[in-house]
Amino acid sequence: MIGFLQAVTSGIAVGSSYALMGLAMVIIYKTSEVVNFAQGEMALLSCFLTYMVLEFYGFSFLAAFAGALAFAAFLGGFLEFAVLRRAKEPNVLGMIIITIGLEMILMGIVSWKFGADPKTMSFPISPYDSVAIGEVFVSSLEVLTFIVALTVMAVLFLFLRYSKLGVAMKATQQNSMAARLMGIRTNRILMITWGISSVVGCLAGLLISPITMQPYMMWDPMLKGFAAAVMGGMTSLPGSVFGAYLIGIIENLFGSYVSIEFKSVVAFAIIVLVLCIKPSGLFARHYVKKV
Amino acid sequence: MDMKRDYYEDVELFSSGAVVFWFVALLCALAALPFLVKNYYIYMANYMAINVIVAVGLNLLVGYTGQISLGHAGFFAIGAYGTVMLMTKAHFPFLLALPVSALAAAFFGFLLGVPALRLEGPYLSIATLGFGLTVTQVIGRMSIFGGRQGLHTPELSIGPWHLDSDRDFYYLVVAVLVFLILTARNLIKTKVGRAFIAIRDADIAAETMGVNLTYHKTLAFAISAFYAGVAGGLYAFVLRFIEPEIFSLMMSILFLAMVVVGGLGSIFGSIAGACLLSWLDLELRNILSIPYLGGWLEALSKSYFSITGVSNIQFIVYGLIMVLIMLFEPLGIYGFWIRTKIYWKTWPF
Amino acid sequence: MKRILLALSIVGMVLGVSLGAAAEQGVTDTEIHIGQWGPQTGPAAPWGSVARGADAYFKMINAEGGINGRKIVYHMFDDGYNPAKTKAGVKELQENIGMFAYTGGVGTACGLSVLDYLMDRKIPWVGPSAGSLDWIHPPHKYLFAVYPLYYIEAKALCRYAIKNLGKKRVAIAYQNDDYGKNGVKGAEEELASNGLKLVAEVPVEKSDTDMKSHVMKLKNAKADVVLLWVTPIHAVRIVGTGRALRFAPQWMSTSTCSDFPLMYTISKGLWGGVIATTFGELPDSDNPLMMKYKKEAFDKFAAKGERWGVFYTAGITFAEPLIEGIKRCGRDLTRERLVKEMEGIRNFKGIGGRISYAPFDVSKPYECRQGMKEVYLVKCLKGGEYEKLSDWMEIR
Repeated sequence: MIGFLQAVTSGIAVGSSYALMGLAMVIIYKTSEVVNFAQGEMALLSCFLTYMVLEFYGFSFLAAFAGALAFAAFLGGFLEFAVLRRAKEPNVLGMIIITIGLEMILMGIVSWKFGADPKTMSFPISPYDSVAIGEVFVSSLEVLTFIVALTVMAVLFLFLRYSKLGVAMKATQQNSMAARLMGIRTNRILMITWGISSVVGCLAGLLISPITMQPYMMWDPMLKGFAAAVMGGMTSLPGSVFGAYLIGIIENLFGSYVSIEFKSVVAFAIIVLVLCIKPSGLFARHYVKKV
Repeated sequence: MDMKRDYYEDVELFSSGAVVFWFVALLCALAALPFLVKNYYIYMANYMAINVIVAVGLNLLVGYTGQISLGHAGFFAIGAYGTVMLMTKAHFPFLLALPVSALAAAFFGFLLGVPALRLEGPYLSIATLGFGLTVTQVIGRMSIFGGRQGLHTPELSIGPWHLDSDRDFYYLVVAVLVFLILTARNLIKTKVGRAFIAIRDADIAAETMGVNLTYHKTLAFAISAFYAGVAGGLYAFVLRFIEPEIFSLMMSILFLAMVVVGGLGSIFGSIAGACLLSWLDLELRNILSIPYLGGWLEALSKSYFSITGVSNIQFIVYGLIMVLIMLFEPLGIYGFWIRTKIYWKTWPF
Repeated sequence: MKRILLALSIVGMVLGVSLGAAAEQGVTDTEIHIGQWGPQTGPAAPWGSVARGADAYFKMINAEGGINGRKIVYHMFDDGYNPAKTKAGVKELQENIGMFAYTGGVGTACGLSVLDYLMDRKIPWVGPSAGSLDWIHPPHKYLFAVYPLYYIEAKALCRYAIKNLGKKRVAIAYQNDDYGKNGVKGAEEELASNGLKLVAEVPVEKSDTDMKSHVMKLKNAKADVVLLWVTPIHAVRIVGTGRALRFAPQWMSTSTCSDFPLMYTISKGLWGGVIATTFGELPDSDNPLMMKYKKEAFDKFAAKGERWGVFYTAGITFAEPLIEGIKRCGRDLTRERLVKEMEGIRNFKGIGGRISYAPFDVSKPYECRQGMKEVYLVKCLKGGEYEKLSDWMEIR
């Protein structure tokens, strides 16, 4: 029983970082129907710059992290403005390839600047101290990640549903021509969307960094986050979070009870099964195309 | 411009004597290549040719049928492992092992096509991605496939010929390549190809016109998997050693990039894209030895960046090339070619 | 479409200029060409310092005047841990310039993809940077292994755990490939000879980031010694997760994680108390040869930002036997002569353990082509300092 609870708790803990990445990808998909493969690397650059600032220039934690989030927002907006917008009559695959290219460029820049040795970021909460809930242990960093993930999800959900900017974002996705006719500056909306998504990704990255930092650290969370977002529905924020926790729990349960080796395989198999039953994900509204 | 007067003119392979002449000239040039360049370039040509085969197959799926697949490394792996296993364990001759393992890959492609009937866009990409990862994991676990230690490919002999040098292998690969490209072109020009294009443009309309969606979508997956399987089998002999880690997600992404950068829906495009991206893949590590640029990059590294990570410049260049091509020409390299052709055809207007 | 291929073949013709051949390939009156591949980019990039260590070492030798009047021209390229690129690079080096010999080379898969190519052309290769059994089973005449077998490291650690620490419950977390599986094999054999068995064998995928299920399994098996046969990043995660789950066995690891200053920093101090095997002098040792290398090679020729760490000095360790063999050939430098001289090396000590080879004998692969057969154990102290726990142990 304890083993089961521990596995579920660990699953929830690891699901939180997938959830943040999933949220970031869903935000961009909601507004521009582009799958952003560069999500992880945008966060990576912000995190590594934070590391540099903390180690070599001795800023305080608050200043460094606030600076990281600001930089991430700027980076997201800049990439959208400079690169994505310049694509002429893009088709979906073309945009995906552009994001893959950006991903390579950003990864190359980070590896070039910082070298390949693994590093670690100092953090006010140690990733190795744990809190005990009965006989089950959760590390304090994971508790923080969990809280952050749920808070971000709640904030974004309310933002998109009730604020003027959020409604404008949804309008841009549903019909961008009509949105422009109604006076919404779609270009600016897109830029802001990328900025927000980059900030969420940066949060995910900052919460992973205290353990180890190396240029490839965001690849796996991004993939799992993407998979989680797909399972939960690419247009639904709570769906992606739910999907992320589901993946985390299934992985850990399978790993503890059946076989550690096939953990990831089972996660993807479950996703494919879910998609076969509900083709647009668990929580999304399946838009049936009218001919 | 080029009006077709009847059905057979549309379908025919060589529309005029001039085309036949140039085609034969190209074949002669390809045949003469190994005698003119050093062995290393033949190895590079083999690598490029294999990537071209995969790109042409993937283009049939992505460009002509409008699906998306991030799991083609899985089919590639099935082709490679299938060929090597059949040749070492079951003692099949190469000419039998290669088609059989490609058919096995096609079967898995068919299986993957079944979920594709209901999925599209990012949903389909995750399903295919999962498939690609699953194949490598399963192969890596089972020790009859050599597990993580990998497998050595056996010697290759077809009938009386013993192929053990890059040059011998080049002829085999190019022969297979030309055959597969002609097949693909024929496929596209005939009924099946038109069905694929109809599915891409408006699948519900296509179904109402009598195109069997189930059959054609799964067929598209199966054919592109077959191409990837053949290429995988040949790749095992180029590399002479295969292990599961080679067939990673990055390889699937690169295949997709080759198709998109080259030009969706165009065989010429996928050839160009595959050639360019695989050439860059192999050659970019030498970027620091370019005369002026290399020296400047090294100086830049020493002052602002770490010198130890300087080889990462190749990723930056690779990504930059991909991004720039897609930004300036969404139709890819084929788009550039079309534009150049139109420019010269309509000059001086 | 077809015109692109034609254009490429024209380019190929233009570029196909061959260089003049030397008497022995890769050797002229004033130069010796030596090549190495390494992952300077990609997930295995931390191992790129092996190739860079050899680079500084060769530069030092050239600064001292070369070997018997010849300077070493070193060619190192990045293969990104991708065997296709390794093969391309080796072919390019051999066909454009022609290397006399190769040294180092990180990665079992990458090495295996070029092994047949090099052996068919009788090109000597000294010190592959992986302790795999594949280099000596079957043995090859021109391949001289230096890195002690992973299997041996496992035996050494288990022996120490049982005899000196008195532990009985040994578990292993291993990477699911050749490296890890050899560790499991060595551990099993050593434990079996003491009448014990592994209480848990936990495979770790390279792509796994979350180690909780793995540590849970180790904890449930109540292991009091855990052997870590994984990469440094995974090792840190496992130890950290263990700490969070309040599981604290004696952690033991291979030489890959023996870079204590680095490990201590990235594990935020959790690495203290870990015991590791190592096969080279410690970076801060007062061995005169080590200090000479630090002063003459590292301080003068290493790039800014390079670290004097275990992988860097390993690059030197793998190249030392090759240089020793070349020195013994005198001016008459051919590949056959080099092989003969290398087979005569007995108990050569550089900055690693003693290296001995023997004339080629297929029935005695370990004696004739495995150079270093000994390791020793060190323990990590506070601040990443080393404590030597044992002397050089030769293990079969």
